[in-house]
Amino acid sequence: MLLFRSEQHVDRWCQQWNRPRGGTLTLNQGWRLAKEWYADRLSPKWRPKTTAEAQAALARIGLVGEFWRLSG
Amino acid sequence: MTAPRQSPETYDSHLRQAIYRHFIREGRAPKVVEMAKALFSTVPKIKAGFERLAQSHALVLQENGELWRAAPFSAVPTAFPVRSGKSSWYGNCIWDALGIPAMLQQSAQVPAACGCCNHEMVLEVKNGKLLSQKGIIHFAVPARHWYQDIVFT
Repeated sequence: MLLFRSEQHVDRWCQQWNRPRGGTLTLNQGWRLAKEWYADRLSPKWRPKTTAEAQAALARIGLVGEFWRLSG
Repeated sequence: MTAPRQSPETYDSHLRQAIYRHFIREGRAPKVVEMAKALFSTVPKIKAGFERLAQSHALVLQENGELWRAAPFSAVPTAFPVRSGKSSWYGNCIWDALGIPAMLQQSAQVPAACGCCNHEMVLEVKNGKLLSQKGIIHFAVPARHWYQDIVFT
């Protein structure tokens, strides 16, 4: 996943690389996602999230819908 | 120090924590041989631990068995450096670059750039908040395919 200046720069990158447009996040959502994923990573009790846990974490920051579905 | 008869789960937990301590302290990934020395273990045991942790997606390894990624840290230089005080690391992507200050609970700067035009975009995390708000993050790969090609993702 990459950082872009704007929606227009995302579109330009997709055209350049002949890729369909994917999913986008605001920087605030990106920061919340980073905290959801990594805030507990140094804990001795850390373990990888289950698919259900990861899906719930995405949903908490508003990443819902087909593009953000982790299984299937 | 590792106990003589610990379970693989306990061994791997100690190994994982030692990897992160090394990254944080040194600003780079530990080698297999360094982990063997740090944990009073052996190279084959460390390699086996690396493999188990990689299977659970806790790590990504290079073909030679050395670390490539212990997310959010990258063992190799990337376009996503992170600076905090006198320390610096590399994230694997913009998500991971933000993940480093999130994990360390430290203020940090992420001197990133636009993926399209390379325009400089420095993100700053201070006192647990992301101060920068201008920009957008794009995921090219649908979530269900993230681990099929984690490098491209």
